Parts: sequence; structure tokens; C-alpha cells
Amino acid sequence: MQNNIESLEEPIASSNLLELRGATKSFGSNLVLDNINFELKAGEIHSLVGENGAGKSTCLGLIYGLHQPDSGFVTLNEKTVKIDSPSHAQKLGVGCVFQELSLANSLSVSENIFAGRSPSRYGMVNWKSLNAQAEKLLKQFELDINVTLPVGNLPISTRQLVEIAKALSLNSKILLLDEPTSALTPDEVSTLFTVLKKLTKQGIGIVYVSHHMSEIFKISDRITTLRDGKVISTKRTSDTSQEKVVAEMIGSQSYRELRVAQPISEEILLSVDNLSNSTDFSGITFNIRKGEILGIAGLMGSGRSEIVRTIAGLKQDYAGSIIFKGNPVTFNSLREAMSHGIGFIPEERKTEGLFLQYPLDANFSSANLKNYSKLEILQHRKISSACQQAIDFYQIKTESYKKNAGALSGGNQQKLMLAKWLERQPDLLIIEEPTKGVDVGAKFQIHKELRARAQEGMSVIIISSDFPELISLSNRILVVSDGNLMGELSPEKTSEEQLLQLAVGLKKQSQNENTISEK
Amino acid sequence: MKRDYSNRKLEKGRLVTGILKPFLEIRELTLLVMIFLIILLMANLNPYFLTYSNFRAISVGMAPTAIIVIGMAILLASGGFDLSVGSVMALSSTVVAMLMLSGYSIPVSVFISILLGAFIGLSNGCLVTAFNINPLIATLGTMSIARGFALVLTEGFSLSSLPASFGWIGKSSIMGLPALVLLMLIMVVIFDLLVRHTRFFRQVYFIGANEKAAMLSGIHVSRVRIIAYILSGALAALAGVLLASRLMSGTPTAGNGIELQVLAAAVIGGASLQGGEGTVLGAFLGVVFVALINNSMTMLAVSIYWQMIVIGTVLVIAVALDMLIRRRKA
Repeated sequence: MQNNIESLEEPIASSNLLELRGATKSFGSNLVLDNINFELKAGEIHSLVGENGAGKSTCLGLIYGLHQPDSGFVTLNEKTVKIDSPSHAQKLGVGCVFQELSLANSLSVSENIFAGRSPSRYGMVNWKSLNAQAEKLLKQFELDINVTLPVGNLPISTRQLVEIAKALSLNSKILLLDEPTSALTPDEVSTLFTVLKKLTKQGIGIVYVSHHMSEIFKISDRITTLRDGKVISTKRTSDTSQEKVVAEMIGSQSYRELRVAQPISEEILLSVDNLSNSTDFSGITFNIRKGEILGIAGLMGSGRSEIVRTIAGLKQDYAGSIIFKGNPVTFNSLREAMSHGIGFIPEERKTEGLFLQYPLDANFSSANLKNYSKLEILQHRKISSACQQAIDFYQIKTESYKKNAGALSGGNQQKLMLAKWLERQPDLLIIEEPTKGVDVGAKFQIHKELRARAQEGMSVIIISSDFPELISLSNRILVVSDGNLMGELSPEKTSEEQLLQLAVGLKKQSQNENTISEK
Repeated sequence: MKRDYSNRKLEKGRLVTGILKPFLEIRELTLLVMIFLIILLMANLNPYFLTYSNFRAISVGMAPTAIIVIGMAILLASGGFDLSVGSVMALSSTVVAMLMLSGYSIPVSVFISILLGAFIGLSNGCLVTAFNINPLIATLGTMSIARGFALVLTEGFSLSSLPASFGWIGKSSIMGLPALVLLMLIMVVIFDLLVRHTRFFRQVYFIGANEKAAMLSGIHVSRVRIIAYILSGALAALAGVLLASRLMSGTPTAGNGIELQVLAAAVIGGASLQGGEGTVLGAFLGVVFVALINNSMTMLAVSIYWQMIVIGTVLVIAVALDMLIRRRKA
């Protein structure tokens, strides 16, 4: 690894704007970055790639002062620095644009760009000079917009460019971009790339994080691949290929748990025909049989959660038909879907799934209040004893069911949500990211329970960015990219690499190709 | 697949389950102790404090507030908020008087007045849920509208010479206990039990704690919210009717500023503007506590202006202490 980097010193001449040397970072007992070496030269675009959770965002966080390394250090212009906060990072010439926009929608473009640093005279904002400076800055982006308009009036893509202009207005020498093209159209992407190339000519170094392989190969000078918090390689773009990078992201280790051959009934529980909505997905057609575990692979923003949330009754605007238990259905709410036998475990356990300040038993009963009340009166003892039983059964680590759900570890919170929904005994359980950020033990248990329930006849739809998980758990895997179904794979004959290639939109499975040939 | 729950060993003697338990332990007990201390202290400072007539005056005086605070505590638990309660109280006290003066029977007049309060609550609920207007703004609007109607209907004058039998609930006593106070106590107990033990009110807490998770647990969020607003409006109207009965007049200016007193009492009693917390009993004890402090200061001849300062200070200290305790726990 080290050799790899050193062999590169020669062709790219100038000194390093930025270095991470042996940077290590863990959150709790979770080692997120392990001895990371990374460097950025003036005028270079250096891409950072890896699967979700590989450590890309944490790397950016170290450089932008959101986190401090546990060991190792950050150097800027070959001087070791301790970056305390984003505002400190900005002072040191580091600008950052995150995936989520951080603009104030009601303020004008120019105010957003110079937020808190408006040129002023006698304490009054000098609007003329403010607007003129903003216009000048935006000219670089070939953006001809009225800088006095509220940002909220602009299309998302323009806002993204305004955000980058804002980062540059700080005279940044280093620019960190986290998925900057996720909301942009191809035309806007090429405008952005022109701007980025122009910036590099001015000696600005750019760290570029993205899932889109084709973009990465178009824009970067070098690519560093991360996996499980470690640097796998740093290579010049011309020395590698998309396939090689994808292979490095996944690693060669094969993660396949012992699979139980599941007898699948031929009875179709749910079939979805030509499901589309105006913004997120189109032409989605699939079905799921009784007792089947169907995986849906896709990256963030691929439309995967919008698809399942539509089925669960959480999104009403769609075209196409949903047939559940043989009858066409239109669910106007999750309540309605639940009454037909659908369960839904959302992705964000802290904000969408749990009542963190309430005890375990209250959380456990939250979707089952009807079952635990008689004539509208709650049966507290029944709730507590059922919860205690679930705690024992799922081995949820807690002193008591009276402890607040917020005090549980991620894995135990996830088990609590699973317990809450399995208690309803749904016919179809939809789970988003069943084991995101969960320890190995909890993950194993969640998988075991899902398999067992499927064996008993419950159907499961799993959305996951964890491709090994999908391969080991599903009977079939659908791949979604950019709102389209890219293919249907049989997990026995599928590698993570193939999944990822479909998910990043690298290639589409041909219509009549049912199984992908094994290597 | 149904599991058997019968042979589980559980801790015994739990009156309340999960959600509401910590408040019974901390906030309500603290308030009870404070109330006891005030009584003890005042009994020594002023011989007239610990008399039947003084306690009668205190409890009759706080009854309308205590009835309104029931609705406010429930709304706060749902993450809602109602500024219109004082105006609704005034409007219902004038409407009930006008109806009786134009010849309607007492039960019909009372029923219509309470229905009117419920309707204003329904409007508040719809504004907040269907139009997604911030509850502070929505109920600020209806507060002004309801007060305006009360003043327009009466041209600003109080309506008196109500039928004598209407004064029964506000003036009579049962075994030395004023009927008004008895009604207040019964309602507090009933609503406290309902809130702790019914499925509907448990949903109120889930919504207040995490609206999104509540929705994703299949709870009908907007319906529950609207019902909580209707309840608050109806209870405020009931308070207005009782006030009219006690004063034997419909007063369009009644209850001016009472919404903030109610809010302060509920928060002192453990409710939170963030929602998901508080009990009816706690809020009621908050009202008792504030009423006792006001009464004590009057007895000690402290100026009414100072009373405002003291109540404000108590409110801020109560909330600050609560935040401190929470931070230490977290």
C-alpha cells in the first residue's frame, strides 16, 4: 500500500496540500478508520470511493474538523494541524459541500454565499458590493442568476452550485465534495466538471466522494479505495479500471452464511405491476411469493425506499397496480396497509422507528395497542410481560423493560423494532436496512429470525446497501438504479461485484438473461 | 406462534406502566412536598390561612383553571398547544347566559355552549393538522376571534339576572365541599386515570414523543391531534359555564391571560412544550401550587405585581431544574 503511494510521487510533482497520516478513528467500540494514509496535491482531483460505511464520510469529517483522529494526524501544506471545528477548517482554507444542502432557503443567493461575512459599512450591510461579489463568483460557474432571489426559488441543481460557490467564497485551497452530483442532471454535471477543472488550474485541490463510477473516472486524477475503514489502494485513474475499483471496494472475501434451502410456496402474496411515480421510480414490476425473502439492492437515492414505501401505503401518488392476497389494493396510509397484514420497519431507527425517551415496553406496544387493550383500557401487565418475553427471546441487552429505548445499543434497538413488528405477525414484512450499523451478533440473530419467520410463511422484502447481507438472506434479489429495475438475480449465482455493477448503473441485465454466468 | 404470557415473573405493584412512571416519582412528589411545605409555613405565618373559608376561596377560585389545565396537559403531551382557552371560556360564559336569557332551558344552553367550545377546538385541530399551521399561530388567531365574538355579542357588557337555579353548581355545597370543587376533583381523577390507562391517550403520548415514529407505527396522527384540540376547547367552554354559574353573569372579559397561567401551571407540573410528557395529575398539582403561592402572598400583603414576578421565577426554576436532572440522567 505504502509502495503504491510512493511510486506515484514522481509523476505528480507539486507538494502535498493535504495529508492524512496513519489516521485512526473509532466511535465507541466501532473502528471506522484504521491507519488511513491519504494525500492531496495542488491542482489535483482525488476521488475517495468505497461502499456505504467504508469510512469515506469520516475521512472528510477529519479533514473538515467534525471529528478528531484518535491517532495519526492531518497535515495542511506539510504542517501538522489540529482542526477543531468546521469554522477552523474554513480559516485554514478547507471548504466542504455535503450531500445534504445547508442553505437558508428564505435568504437570497448572495446572503447565503456570504452568510455571516457580508461586506459592511458602519455596521450596515453593503448590498451593492455583496451582490456584485456574489455575481462575480457565480460567473465562474457560468451561472447567470439573480443573486437577490431567495435560494428556495431555485432548482435543486442550482442550489448545489450555489453551495459550492459558498465553499469557494472562503478562498478555499482545498475543496471537499460529498456526492455533489446526486441531484444534478447530466448537463449540470458536465457544467460542474468544467468548473472543477477550472478550479484545479488555479491550484485548488479537490477531494471528491461519489458512488458514480463513470463520473469518478471522468473527473479524477487519482482514486483511493476504502474498505472497512482501511485504504485498499491509491492509483492513478489511468492505471486502473471501473471493474478493478469495484472489485477492490467489495474485497475478495466471500460472505456467505449457511443458507437454508427454503421451500417456497407457489402462492403469490403480492404482485406489483408497472409501478411508477413522477419523481422516484418508473415501470417497477415484480411479485413475491408466500414465505419468500425478496432482496432489493440499490444505492441511496436509487428509488428503492420510495418503492417499498409506496407498497406500505406511505406514498399515495403513483401509477400502476398493487395486488395483495389476490385483490387489487390502494392503501391510503400505513394503518390501512397494516390492517391488511403488512408490516414496515423503517431505515432510521432513531428518528422513524423508536420513541427514544420511552421505555422498551412502551416502544414494544406502540404498533400493537389494540392487541394489548380490552375495551380501550390498556393491559399494562400484559404489555410488560410480552415485552419481557421478547427481551428474553431476542436477547435484547437491557437491565429491564423499564429502561428507555434510547439507552440501548444500535443492535438492541434494531432487535426491539423487529420484535415490535413480528408481534403483529404480518403476512408481509418490509424492512429497510435491517442491520445498518449493527454488531455482528445482533446481525446474525436478526437474520436467523427472519429466515425462521419466512419458513413459517411470512414474506419479507428487504432493502439493503449491505450486498453480502442480501446475497446470504434473499431468495431473489432485485436491483434498482435510478428508479429503474436493472435486473433480477438469483443469489446463489450472484457476486457482490455483479450486484454493485448493476446498482451503480454500470450495465443493465438483458431481458431474457435469467442467471448471470458464473466466473 | 402466539406466545404464552401467563407464567412470567414480573415486578409487582406497578400502578403505572412505563411512559408516565418517572413523573409520578419525581415531579408530582416534589410538587406534593412543596405544597405541603407552603401550607405548613403559612399556617405558622398567618392564622387565617388554615381556615375553611380561605381554602374554600382558593379551591373555588382555581376550579376553572384546573378544568382547563386538564385539556392543556393532554394537548401538551401530544406536542400541541392552545392559546384560545381563555377566550373560549369567556365566549361560552356569555353564550350560555344569552341562551338562557332568550328562554332556552339550562341543560340546552349549557350543552350548546360546550358544543361551541368543542367546535372551536375542532377548528384549531384542523388548522394545525390539515393546514399545517403552527399551533401557536393558529390558536392565537382563534383566541382573538373567540374573544371578539364574546365582545360583539354583548357589546362589551356583562350579562346578569340569570335564572336562579343556574347558580346551583357554582354556589352550592355538598357536605361542606363546594359542588364546583367536587366536580373539579372528579374530573381531574377521571381524566388522570383515562390518560394513564386508555389506548387513545397512550397514542397522544406517542405522537408527542415522535410524530414520525407514531405515524410509522400505524397511529392515526391527525385524528388523535384533532380530538385533543376538541377536548381542550370543550373543557374551556365548561370552565366558562361554571364561571358564569358562580358569578351569575356572562362576562366577555373573563379569563383574560388565563391561557398563560394554565400553560405555566402545566409546565410546572411536568408538561413540556416538546410534547410526550406530563400528566393530568401533575398539571393539576401545578395549578394548586400556583394558587397557593398567590394566596399566600396576598395573605402576607405582598403586592400583586410581586406575585407575577414570583410565579415567573418559579416557572423558570422548575424548568431549569428539570433540564439539569435530565442532563445528569443522559
